[in-house]
Amino acid sequence: MSAGDERAGTFAELAHVQLEKPGLRRAIGSAMDRFVLNRANAFAGADLEAMRAAGEAIRAHTVARLDSYLAQFAEAAEARGVKVFFAADGAEAVEYVRGVIRDHGATRVAKGKSMASEEIGLNHALEADGVDVVETDLGEYIVQIAHEPPSHIIVPAIHKKRDEIAELFNDVHHTDLPADPPELTRFARELLRDRFLSAEVGITGVNFAVADAGAFVIVTNEGNGRMCSTLPKVHVALMGMERIVPSFRELAVMLPLLTGSATGQRVTAYLNVIGGPRGPDDVDGPDEVHVVILDNGRSRLLGTEYRSVLHCIRCGACQNVCPVYRQVGGHGYGTVYGGPIGAVLTPLLDGFERAGDLPYASSLCAACTDVCPVRIPLHEHLLSLRRDVARERAGAAERSAFRTWSAVWSRPWSYRLAARFGRAGQALFARGGRIRRAPFPLSRWTSDRDLPPIASRTFRERWKRTGHRREPGGADGR
Amino acid sequence: MDADAFLARVRSGLAGVAPAPLPDVHPQTPASGDGRLFDRFAEELEKAGGTARWVSRQDLSAEVYEAAVEASASTAVVSDDVAEFRERIDRGLADAGCAAAPVSREAAASADLGVTGGVVGVCSTGSVLLRATPASPRVASLLPPAHVAILHEAALVPGFEELFDVLGEQLREANAAVLVTGPSRTTDIELQLVRGVHGPKSMTALVVREE
Repeated sequence: MSAGDERAGTFAELAHVQLEKPGLRRAIGSAMDRFVLNRANAFAGADLEAMRAAGEAIRAHTVARLDSYLAQFAEAAEARGVKVFFAADGAEAVEYVRGVIRDHGATRVAKGKSMASEEIGLNHALEADGVDVVETDLGEYIVQIAHEPPSHIIVPAIHKKRDEIAELFNDVHHTDLPADPPELTRFARELLRDRFLSAEVGITGVNFAVADAGAFVIVTNEGNGRMCSTLPKVHVALMGMERIVPSFRELAVMLPLLTGSATGQRVTAYLNVIGGPRGPDDVDGPDEVHVVILDNGRSRLLGTEYRSVLHCIRCGACQNVCPVYRQVGGHGYGTVYGGPIGAVLTPLLDGFERAGDLPYASSLCAACTDVCPVRIPLHEHLLSLRRDVARERAGAAERSAFRTWSAVWSRPWSYRLAARFGRAGQALFARGGRIRRAPFPLSRWTSDRDLPPIASRTFRERWKRTGHRREPGGADGR
Repeated sequence: MDADAFLARVRSGLAGVAPAPLPDVHPQTPASGDGRLFDRFAEELEKAGGTARWVSRQDLSAEVYEAAVEASASTAVVSDDVAEFRERIDRGLADAGCAAAPVSREAAASADLGVTGGVVGVCSTGSVLLRATPASPRVASLLPPAHVAILHEAALVPGFEELFDVLGEQLREANAAVLVTGPSRTTDIELQLVRGVHGPKSMTALVVREE
């Protein structure tokens, strides 16, 4: 991400833009409802809690021994003829891929979905070299020709309606396609088929690398991952360094957790297992397979309380249930990873300067934690990040204001006094039982939300007057 | 970055991190099996938009004929891993007026149908594992709009656990494998399901019973 684009604004600014878009909230909300329902159906009858516990244990074990599993994977993969490159950061990864493309004199790239490639801004770098890069996942292709970033990990173009997509295709390709998903898909199939057959290099992500086998897997439904890893002469796969499991055995749990959480499927249409380049007698398959293993800030998290964020398997389930994401979509965040996982991961990888506002883009309702297939305590991480951001950011005035507040509220007499002052002061602002506009600094709260006024009589005052009397028929009225 | 330096950085990040045990017993998942039952295999494959048939060797010609007619196929590629059924496959294709060719990238790119073997059938998901070998090139099941996979009854396993138990071994003799479950599909436009995006639009598994 450090090599990625600058954010176009803060969360507050970007979210406002998204909220103004007609129909967007309904489109995203109903799509997310479908995902939530599909997920429930996928796990119906299974002991999901036992699966999540196993998923968490597998991820925790693997990440705690990441150095040895990575070494094992690299050795086994190299023995199979795979070229493994360890990239310290996005710039190194981009440089390596550019080098591979240069070495083959390649000008045409077919690309499968890869969040890691978005993270390192790969497409822009290659395009700047004059390389023609085409995204081949249908959703990714749509956002690519619209010059937009993906808005969801699993369905990148979920913010676009069918007529917008038809208009986009017709503009770009001078066609006259109807706003009909099967027709639009058929058109994309033909267009991208040429690309698959003519591309010199295919680039994909990796869902899991298998340490002892030196192989890796890619799950897709469309088949574009198969195309990108089969037809071009060179296949380059990019993976975050944490995307590894000890052996195939663990995939029997991890894959159903991934696909069930992501799309509600027991299994995707294609589970590609890639173990190396073509053999001397093979009719097809790439001549070279490269795996780029990306650190890009991840190793900094290993020794911290945030290590479990590296357990993430990129299913998107936390986005689907997030009340904030459902309102603003992925574009509200202005970062590659949106939703709760993005709000945790982005500040950690990119720093608070760039993304310190994201931990606040949450109601801390914990729905993300409840749904996470590997039980990452996302809402706790969000809370801890707020603490860290405040520590780094809060000015002297803010600090002393909160210190004063804390001192006032921790003594009964001053608390009561504060309530009385507040009640007198709010008379100027409370309208119809709500405070809709308060003076600075409270205006920063009321610009987006109402503030409930202090009650005309506090609980303590009412208790003093009536609380000692037992009401007949009340809870205590035996 | 040099591999050793990269791994050293990871190692130093992990200094003081307590090891966590790897669970040796896994819970059942929706992809766990409940037996080697063709009926389950067929039901799951059909849910995924594919077709499964329980056939004898004698039935093969008729089934291949039907698949070729269904796909309106005039050309087919047939991979060598189904050599044992080759005569019957060829007869079925010929009856359907479909010319058979050996698998090459060019032939597969223009063929209407690809016929391949399959090394494992997963009953809990209706999936077929295909290995990429010289006898079974990847393009035969990828480029033609229709795909027929032929596998032996003995290749059926109950679920994912049994599949992943043998996957490592399967991969020792192959550089790639793919677990196929039905036709290619997408829901990328307004979540509407569309079949046949990049890969085949139809997928049929013929499970040959032991006699």
